[in-house]
Parts: sequence; C-alpha cells; structure tokens
Amino acid sequence: MLRRLPALAAAALLATSMAACGSAAQEPSAAGPTTITMWTRAATQAQSERLVEAYNKSHTNQVKLTVIPTDNYQPRIAAAAGAKQLPDVFAADVIFVPNYTSQGLFADISDRVAALPFKDALAPSHMKLGTYEGRQYTLPHTLDLSVWFWNKDLYEKAGLDPEKGPATLKEFAEQATTVQEKLGADGKVHGTFFGGNCGGCYVFTFWPSVWAAGGTVMNAEGTESTVAASPMTDVFSIYRGLYDNGVTGPTTKEEQGPTWTGFFPKGEIGVMPMPSTTLGSMPADMKIGVAPIAGPDGGESTFVGGDSVGISSTSQNVDAAWEFLAWTVSDEAQVEIMAKNKDVVARTDLADNKYSAEDPRVVLINSLVGKGQTPYALKFGETFNDPQGPWLRFAREALFGDASKLPELNETLNQSLTQ
Amino acid sequence: MNDVVTSPTRLRRGRALAGWAYAAPAAVIVAVLFLAPLVLVVIMSLHKWPLLGPARPNFPANYTKIPDDPLFLDSVLFTLKYTVIITILLSAVALGLALLVQDRRRGVGFFRTAFFLPGAVGFAAAALLFYGLLNNDFGPFGFLGVNWIGSPNMALTSTILLVLWRFAGFDMLILLTGLQAIPIEVYEAARADGANRWQIFTRITLPLLRPTLALMLILSITGSLLAFDQFFIFTNGGPDNSTVSMVMVVYRNAFFRFDLGGAAALSVVLLVVLVALNAVQMRILRGATTR
Amino acid sequence: MKYYSPRLALAVIFLFPLIWSGWASVQGPDGFTLANYRSITGFGEGLATYVGNSLALSGMTVVGTLVVATLGGYAFARFHFPGKNLLFLAALAILMVPYATILIPLYVLLDYVGLQNSLLGVSLVFVMFQLPFALYMMRNSFEAIPREIEESALVDGAGSFRVLLSVLLPAVRPGLVTVGLFAFLASWNDFFAPLILLSDGASFPLPVAVVSMTQRTFGAIDYGVLQAGVMVMAVPCLVLFLVLQRYYVRGFMSGALRG
Repeated sequence: MLRRLPALAAAALLATSMAACGSAAQEPSAAGPTTITMWTRAATQAQSERLVEAYNKSHTNQVKLTVIPTDNYQPRIAAAAGAKQLPDVFAADVIFVPNYTSQGLFADISDRVAALPFKDALAPSHMKLGTYEGRQYTLPHTLDLSVWFWNKDLYEKAGLDPEKGPATLKEFAEQATTVQEKLGADGKVHGTFFGGNCGGCYVFTFWPSVWAAGGTVMNAEGTESTVAASPMTDVFSIYRGLYDNGVTGPTTKEEQGPTWTGFFPKGEIGVMPMPSTTLGSMPADMKIGVAPIAGPDGGESTFVGGDSVGISSTSQNVDAAWEFLAWTVSDEAQVEIMAKNKDVVARTDLADNKYSAEDPRVVLINSLVGKGQTPYALKFGETFNDPQGPWLRFAREALFGDASKLPELNETLNQSLTQ
Repeated sequence: MNDVVTSPTRLRRGRALAGWAYAAPAAVIVAVLFLAPLVLVVIMSLHKWPLLGPARPNFPANYTKIPDDPLFLDSVLFTLKYTVIITILLSAVALGLALLVQDRRRGVGFFRTAFFLPGAVGFAAAALLFYGLLNNDFGPFGFLGVNWIGSPNMALTSTILLVLWRFAGFDMLILLTGLQAIPIEVYEAARADGANRWQIFTRITLPLLRPTLALMLILSITGSLLAFDQFFIFTNGGPDNSTVSMVMVVYRNAFFRFDLGGAAALSVVLLVVLVALNAVQMRILRGATTR
Repeated sequence: MKYYSPRLALAVIFLFPLIWSGWASVQGPDGFTLANYRSITGFGEGLATYVGNSLALSGMTVVGTLVVATLGGYAFARFHFPGKNLLFLAALAILMVPYATILIPLYVLLDYVGLQNSLLGVSLVFVMFQLPFALYMMRNSFEAIPREIEESALVDGAGSFRVLLSVLLPAVRPGLVTVGLFAFLASWNDFFAPLILLSDGASFPLPVAVVSMTQRTFGAIDYGVLQAGVMVMAVPCLVLFLVLQRYYVRGFMSGALRG
C-alpha cells in the first residue's frame, strides 16, 4: 500500500481532474435527462425545497437537493472543495461569497447572466458580492432583510400607539423602555432583545442603523474597519443603555445566535430587529408591525442578507445547472414560489406583485432591497461571524465591557481583514 | 518463547508468516487510512494549500507563524488548564465510585450500571442533552438562577460536569478491574497486622492500582489535550473565547479560514507533542507494571 | 442504610439527566405529547431511512472491527514477527491525532480508492478509529488465555486458524462483546465523520439528521425535538448496554484492560 503514497500525494498536489468527475451527480448520458446535485444550508431549506420541488415537476432535468446543518455548512464546503467533490450547484450565505469566489469555488457565469433580459433588476447587493475581478459568479437565491418588528398587542397594553412603530433608533429605545416599564414586572415580557454573544447577529441588526445615519462600517474594499467611530459608537451606546436599564431579555448577553429570534414569536418582546424571512412563520393570530431599521435620528436601511447560488467550478453539468439557476430567478419562480410564500423576491422589478399587494409589510420589505447594503470583505466570515473572530470581542466590549478599548480593538479587526 | 515445539528455524519462519497474515488487515487499515492521510497532512503543512488549485511549497512559513496567533497561544494555556483539572477530578471521582461499588453485595450491579450508563450516550448527544438541561428557560435548573455558560468559569464548570457525567463510569470500570485484581489475601494480611482503612488504602490499594491508574491517566490526558466536541457543541468557545481548545483552533484554521497548510502544521505539532508525552507516560507505566 | 443511601443518591444524580431528557422529549405546552417524535419521524427522508443508514453503518463497523481486531489481537498475543511492535505503536498513535484535521486527507483518499460518499467508506474510517482500543483489548484478551489450552490442539496437528476459531474464540467472547459494543457506540453516535464524508442527504445517519432537524427553524432551537432526537439516538445504546452488561463487565474484568 505504501507504494501508493507518492501517487496519492501527487493526486492531491496536482488537483487532477480524476477526482473531479467523481461528483455525486450521475454522469450525463447522451440523450437522457441530467440530474444535478445541489447543497443548501438548513437555514434556507424551506425556500430551496420549494424551488427544487417545483422545478423537478416541470422539467426533465432533475435537481437533487441535500440540506446540511447551518453551523456545519462552511466546513462541509471546505472539505468537499479540498477533495474536488463539490456538488454541481450550491447556495451560500451571501457574505461568504466574496471569499468563496476568491478561492475559485464558483464557475464564471458572466456571459450567461448578461444574456438574461432582467439582469439589471437582480438584487443589487447580492450581485455586487458575486462579482470578483469584474466577472460574475453567483445569482441571488434567497433574500433575508433585517427589519424592526413590533408586537402591536404589547404596544396597546403598554399604552403606546400600536399602529406607530419607531422611526428613529432613539424612538425604538423609548418604546422598548415603555414596554419594559409597563409590562416587564413579572419577568415574562421584555422591552427588546438582541443576540449579545453572536457576531453575525450584531452585524445584521446593528449595522443598518449606522448606514441609515449615513455612516460606514468598512471601507469599500473591505480591508479597513471604521466601527470604532460615530455613528457606530452612538448605536452601541443606545443599545448599551437598554441593556444597563434591564430593558433587554435576561439571556441577551449569552445569546449565541441559535435562539435569538425565538422570543419574539412567543409574544415576550415589545420591539426588536428581526430577519424578514421569519414574517411568514409568525403565529397567525399575532399582530406584528414592521418598520425599516433607522439610525439614532432617522433615515432607513437594512442588511440585505440571505443566500446566493452559483455553479461549482468542478461541475461537469454546467449547462443543466445553469438551466436550473436561470429558472429560479424567472418571473414564474419568483412570483409563484417566492412571493406566494411571503419571501422577498430577488428582483427589484417584481417587488410589486399580486401576492405582495395583499400585505403592505411585504411591499415595505421588498422596497428596502434597493436601499439596503451588504458589506463586502474577503475575510468577512472569520472577522465578523466566527465566534472566535475579533468582531465579537469588539462588540461585547462596547456593550458590556470597557468602551474605551475600542480604538485598540479596532486594530485587531483591521489585521483580520487584511491578513 | 515458550512454545512447546522446540522451534526449528523453518517452523519459526512459518509462525512469523502466519503472524504477518493475521496482522495484515490491521496493517492495511493503519497504513491506508491512518499513515497515508498523516503523510498528506505533513505534506500539506509544508505548502500554502488552497481549497482548489495548485499548492505552493512555503516551508517553514506555516510553522513559524504559529506563535503569532494569539488565539492559539491562549488555547494552549486553556487546554493545559482543562487537562489538569479534568484529569484530577475524573481520577478522583472514578476512584471514589469504584471504591463504592467494589464489594459484591446485593444491588451493587444496579449502582455500577447507573454510574456507567451515561457512557452509552454518544458524546455529541450528551453535549446536546446538557445544552437543554442547563438552559434556564427549558431545563429543570432555571429556578437556581445560575448562569451556566454566562461566565468563563461557569462555562468551564458546566463542561467539566458534562465530561464527568459522561466518562466517570467508564473510568470507574477500568479502575474496578484493577481493584479486583488485587488478591484478597493481601488485604487480609494487612488487616491482621492491624492496619486501618486509610492505611490499607494508601499503602496497599493505591500502590497496587498504579498500573491501572497510569493507563487511565494516559487515556484521560490524551483525550483532554485533543478536546473538541464538548467545547465545540456545548460552549462554542465562549464566552469571550474563554473555552477555546487547541483542536478548535486547528478546526477554525482549516474550515473557517481555509488555511489548510496552517491547520496541518498545527496538527503536526500537536501530534509530535502527544507522541512524546505518551512515550514518557508509557515508560512510567511500564516501570510501574514491572515493579 | 448507611451502605445504600450515598450510593443511591449518586445513582440518582447519574441517572437524572437521562430521565429528564426522556421526560422533556414528551412534554408539550399542554402536557404529554408525542409531537416531538412525530416531527422527527416525518423529517427529510423519513426517520426509517436515517435509522437504516445508521444500522448499516454501525453493522459494518462492528463486523469490520471484530474481524480486524480479532486477527490482529491474535497475531500480537501469540506470534512473533518483524515489525510487530512498530505496527502496534502506529495503531496506538491513532489516538493522538486531532480528528478534525485528518478528515480532509481521508476525504481525498476515499475518493482515490472509489469509496467517496459511501457508508462503507465511512465505516472503514470508524474501524480505523476503533483500532487502538480494539487491538489493545483483544491482544490482552488472548494473552489472558493459558497457552496450554491451544498447545494441546496444536500438537494434535490443528492449524493456527482452526485453533483460533474452535478453541480461542469462545474463550475471548467477553472481549469480543466489549470491542463490538464500543465499536457500535462510536459509530452509532458519531456526527462529524459522516457529515464531512457523505454528500448525499439520503445516506446521512441519525446524528447528522438530528442536528439538521433541530436547526430547521432558523433562530429557534426546538429543545423538545432536540431531546426527542437525543432519546432516539440514546435508547438503542442504553438497551444494548444493559443487555450485554454481563459480557462486557467480564470483558473488562478478564484483565483485558490491564496495562
């Protein structure tokens, strides 16, 4: 067996194409339909499943979807890429996409995208993050926007106007404090909540307030952090005040992310930033108001999150894979599958459609797609999302610790972004 | 060799061949599934190794940059601290349990089973179980108002509780085999000489248990230095990176930073340290057995 | 009473988490419910598929580990051959490698030998990780058997393999059960290797499926479903553990784990 070792090493070193053909997909036969493989993470499983099911019903080519636990998605992609065993198509959290494209995981689809008649209407921030050195690698798959949800019943009980949500971050803080003071005595209801031990949650829920105030979090290249300055520091101190005054739920400081959206649907929270994708799965009898995230003194913005999808650079079924991808952003799929289930459409030209018209909140969310941002950085994940990355330390110091350390900690962010 | 057959060379060679044949499946598995990947890890550690595309040799950059990673240096200290604490506690608890159930009495089987049963639960499942058990909203201990993973010390304490619960029974069983191997006559002789229970424990039980204890120590130390699941699933390294173990850093470098070369270099260093440590421990163990 | 009460108290402490988990898995907002189990049953490819995958994976691992460790243990206990110590030490070194790092090379390698994305490939990896314990255990089990037993058979002209099958195997049964049981537990419960090495959702074993289930609704871990999943994983192990107790306790006792 030892004789095989050099060959083995060589195989890995030279990245022989032999390994690449072993992908789980069936070999395309000359005439028959092709089955392509697709991976997605559990967080956006519902949307992917609906799309795949509808596609498989109406097309001869078939898509085989594998759902992977969200927390283990990136390791799974890394291992598969390392062994040249990526599926034909895979979705990824949009903020990881620049890193993936720079690693060469996606195939270049610039020319195919350019031929789409609605190419200019595709969600702009997803498209921007899927561009690397002037070439296009991904399409928008799902959109998940951060917005403020408020609980109208709790507002009414607290003596607030249930139809008037916050228009500034300061109003947000006042309303949360009122809910806490009026209803929080027995410890079941709290003014607000945020994921205090979750880097991705901070990014998703706090940064839009910075953008709404006209500020930035990084330079355009994603190599230099600007979060140690106003307006980010103003946003931090407003939330810090809420925490210090006991307006936030009791597990705020420890919340690692898995359950941060779980308290609002139980009717325990007055007002908080939430992912727009959860609107469709809220309890039917719950009256929820939706407002854009604002800066300390107004403005509006959102974090345009969600998934992008692309064809893997090792795929042998590029044509079949593209047929599926192009279909997912077609009018039919976007309106009859995404919009029908209250999901945000991936195209700005479809923001007003027959389903969104039923719910003005959906129209509002759709309208934010063009106003929001998705920050670009090659090292985004390891800097901001990774619990061991520098951002979580930074944000926790700002909220629960010593805010005077921020300029010093900002250097660790810069290091992580540029290394 | 005390084979009955007075061994002529030919027969001995036949026996050697047969021995090889029996060991062959194990040898193939070790070579193909362990040594070959290990060689690949070493090769990776000498390169800048991207996910896709050609690797570039960059020795010794992957090794020289190890001390520049503050997270790794902290993780070394934390892992050592954890290893010392868990090894001492685990040995003490396991020995205590073993002493409690060493006599053959009515119902002792039930107690052994009760202590050993958590060992049947997979480590990942056990971590998930404790994740719910120690959640103050869902678990039964909410009324205590203890924040189980809120502070660095509590997170470590909770993890230690989890590991003790899961592994104490297994180590108890190992120690029980050692206890039962001590001839009853030795105790009787000591008692006849007027030794009290404490003297019997320190002068007879502990010394005669040394080989078994040493084996347990090796398993515990090796396992703790490679600790991953408990921190990865249960504390996720938090709060504030206070429970990041060395293998978690390896994992982060490989799977989140895609620095496969750097992760491989860390693994190689870890492996070398562990092999050296275990060689020393084996020597001590062997010394203890022959005594 | 003085003998029993401290032991009983400790037994309660050790059993409590398991009992609580079982209880929590059948609790809904309105008291007793099987809803958590129902939601597991209907997940993805269906619970039966995942249980089937887990059984196949564990079965192959147990059989593979037993065969390899029995032959290997016999070789280490009864034969002298060049490279014997080296091989044994190499097998023990498996304990010392960080699990996470060796998986990417293993992935490359399984692909190279045509076993990518197959339960057989994963089970071979499990057999490898079981080897340190299994070989050690079986070597000591064989060594604990007095040589006279097999020598009379050898003098009668039986080959060493016949002796192994007819004379020695019955004598090492407790060791075999112990090795088999631990191989089962490890392969039944492992999450990480199948997650990385399998790329088809239909071939996932239980632990991967359970973790996926609990992460299904973004932002809200369903603790009830989580505990139901823990129970589905744990109960078969607990039952096996109790049924086989007689054997593995003897397996340990027969000196198999002595240094």
